[in-house]
Amino acid sequence: MKTEVYCSPQQHSQLSQHSTGRIMLWVIAACLPGIAASTWFFGWGLLLNILVVMVFAVLLEAVMLKLADKPVKTHLADNSALVTGLILGIAIPPGSPWWLLFTGICFAIVVAKHLYGGLGQNPFNPAMCGYLLLLLSFPLNMTTWHLPTDTLFADQQFSPLSWTSLQYSLQLCFPALAGDGSQISEYIDGFAMATPLIEYKLAGNSTVLAALENNSPLFARASETGWEIINFSFLLGGLFLLFKKIIGWQIPVSIIVTITIMSLLFYEQGSTAVYGTTYLHLFGSATMIGAFFIATDPVSAATTPGGRVVYGIFIGIAIYGIRVWGSYLDSIAIAVLFGNFCAPLLDHFCRPRIYGHSTRPSQ
Amino acid sequence: MSLLSLFHRSTNRRPSRNPGRHKIHKIVGGIKPAANKARSLRSRIMSTPIPEMLVLPLLQHKGTPATPVVKPGDHVLKGQKIAAADPRGVPVHAPTSGKIIKTGQCTLPDAAGTLVSCLMLASDGKDEAIETGLSGDFRNMSKVDLVERIRDAGIAGMGGAGFPTHLKIQTSTASDIATLIINAAECEPYITADEALIREHARDVVKGAEILQYVTGAQQCIIAIEDSKIAALAELKLAIADSAIEIAIVPAKYPAGSEKQLVQAVTGREVPFGEFPASIGVLLHNTGTAFAVYKAICESEPSISRITTVTGSTLKTPKNFHVLFGTPVTFLLDLCGIDRVLLSRIVVGGSLMGNCLHDMDAPIIKTTNCLIAGSLEEFPEPLTERACIRCGFCADACPVNLLPQQLYAHCRCQSYQQAKDFGLIDCIECGACAYVCPSHIPLVQYYRASKSVVFQQQTDRKNSEKWQSRFQFYQYRQKRESEQRIQARAEQPSHPQQIAQAVFSREKARQEISEAVARVKARRANLIATSTLSSPSLSSPSTEPDEKP
Repeated sequence: MKTEVYCSPQQHSQLSQHSTGRIMLWVIAACLPGIAASTWFFGWGLLLNILVVMVFAVLLEAVMLKLADKPVKTHLADNSALVTGLILGIAIPPGSPWWLLFTGICFAIVVAKHLYGGLGQNPFNPAMCGYLLLLLSFPLNMTTWHLPTDTLFADQQFSPLSWTSLQYSLQLCFPALAGDGSQISEYIDGFAMATPLIEYKLAGNSTVLAALENNSPLFARASETGWEIINFSFLLGGLFLLFKKIIGWQIPVSIIVTITIMSLLFYEQGSTAVYGTTYLHLFGSATMIGAFFIATDPVSAATTPGGRVVYGIFIGIAIYGIRVWGSYLDSIAIAVLFGNFCAPLLDHFCRPRIYGHSTRPSQ
Repeated sequence: MSLLSLFHRSTNRRPSRNPGRHKIHKIVGGIKPAANKARSLRSRIMSTPIPEMLVLPLLQHKGTPATPVVKPGDHVLKGQKIAAADPRGVPVHAPTSGKIIKTGQCTLPDAAGTLVSCLMLASDGKDEAIETGLSGDFRNMSKVDLVERIRDAGIAGMGGAGFPTHLKIQTSTASDIATLIINAAECEPYITADEALIREHARDVVKGAEILQYVTGAQQCIIAIEDSKIAALAELKLAIADSAIEIAIVPAKYPAGSEKQLVQAVTGREVPFGEFPASIGVLLHNTGTAFAVYKAICESEPSISRITTVTGSTLKTPKNFHVLFGTPVTFLLDLCGIDRVLLSRIVVGGSLMGNCLHDMDAPIIKTTNCLIAGSLEEFPEPLTERACIRCGFCADACPVNLLPQQLYAHCRCQSYQQAKDFGLIDCIECGACAYVCPSHIPLVQYYRASKSVVFQQQTDRKNSEKWQSRFQFYQYRQKRESEQRIQARAEQPSHPQQIAQAVFSREKARQEISEAVARVKARRANLIATSTLSSPSLSSPSTEPDEKP
């Protein structure tokens, strides 16, 4: 009687978080509350963005895998292209034209990921590479936010989830659909900034707190509490990932703590607008999605426990520094790429002490 | 009032709540796989019937193989020594009475499926035991005597490594042993041999532990057991009631029962790299070993059987067996009602560090603690290896604090120096990293392959150094000899006076030789003359003693 012979361990964990493909799906699932909140407040734009980018991402991934002579189906099943598409889709302003999305994801998947050798080999976060390329090449498109609830549309307000809104978003994404005489395309000039961080200069107070004080409904689409709710939703998703042990606590916690300390340290009440409150820095910006979803990309992040803490601190400092003293307002992308540069060095210097050795490994 | 009394009782009870319980220290990493232990613990330990044929490998442990002391055709009794060992090995005894059929070769149930020579014993079914001397109280025996008896009983570590027990004791007596740990933390999934043993023979195990403590001179003896083994723990608590032995309850986490990790959990200290636990005054023995020692000393029964878990989803009635060494694996599986259609692989040991069985007819040996006859559903084919995404799950799981994903990268790139730098040799191959790897990378396999390359390189280097030094010595010797020749030639007599001297000395020597020859001849002639003279008076040789040359 012949039986098979395998090398130990004979069994593998059956938990879903112990499978790459499932991990990526969990990450996408954890983003859903944030995406849902965003859609609720600002309409179909973000969802459309994400879907279009994801489709492009999977197509490009398949092409690159084919070119690299790797089994396409097996490698697509790791779902990593979907996550790259998702993150880039969230980062790019809703209502961007399809060619912008394509350029971004093309650079992310083809150059930043596959030219470096594919999944696991890329030193930089692909989505952030794509985002930065777009930011540098198309600064106007990348800072133009078309929002149906914008005050500029006050005279013709329509619900963000209405059919008109969907049409509007579709036309922004695929300008060919608009034809020439469309009514909505006239409003393209209207814009709002990505996050309340810049509005702070004009508005001042944090809107959720204001809304709570005024007893205005938090989830009403007009209440302008959208950004905070979205950030809380991403925080919720991030905590879920932590609970599932898909991401380590080190990176998000050190980023958030660093930003908190920095913003407390440099807070000057009202004197300079951009030195906002801690609350504004944490929930009035992209901090939550950056800390939980972008900086934690395992491939390009530091991987030693100590290295991850320092990595988070570096990114936190970079985020705050660029926001406050740099010319970009909410630049998670630059901060994360800066962290990526440091990661190998941090890993080198933060190796843990091995059992039975009195000192840490030689450096 | 009642509340007060409750309070009083609880405060009174507090100091005695955990009698003899030992403080536990933290161990890093670890995983919590499904234990799969309940099925084999449903019934009590069952003694197997005696199989018709027993296959007894001469090497069932780490060390040198034993040499047979019986011939094919000999009739042997149960407990009779059939193969003797040198000091670095342990002897083999006949597990039952019967006839030695032949010597041959068999496959061991180890990872490599090693072929070793063995003795085949056909049992006669009578199970007649050899007469043994009575055993007294071990405290009346000398330690040396006890170690000798343990060696003669053929006891080797029963936890899996199979290191001869007497060697472990002997090496430890050199260093001061403060703590003796009896390892009952059977942390690997499926294995329940030690747990079942403690459930049913806790007193004997404790007695064995006491003997080991006495022999090693350890100041304290701690039995380390996992907190999940509730029934065994209760039995153990009863058994230690009137002894100085303590219990350490370690958290049920794999690999808490691994030697180095258990030392850390119980003593809070780490075994230095490249050393045995004895170097920090700690000695570990397995529960099964303690039981075997008890049997050998108190019941004068050599190591001829052990408790082995036979489990797996293809078996109808998984259970623990009290099984004779040499029993074929198929015999046990048939006893449990195996479904051969469902069977996909047989694992020897637990599901994490165990190896696959190569030959179904391989015998149970001293180190076989568990057999898992698994179905394909239970042990699915390994999934395709994907790219490492550096998630770090492996580093979180590693009990030795390595960075498995970086180690893997170096092993894959064959940069062995780097791999060694990242602790390749420190890896205990527990498999926790590969168990959690979301990309299904067979990490342990990479490490093993790299380790063997590193060890091969070390041997090669040692060999090349040896040959180099020999070659250098050869060159040096040649040079020296040629120099000596030159010197000798230079010293050869070339001066006429020297030649004359040499000739003179040669002639002198010749003269001396001829003189000596003449002396001898004269003496012999003298001797013959005296012997003929004295021949009539041979009866009284003392009359002319002085005449003898």
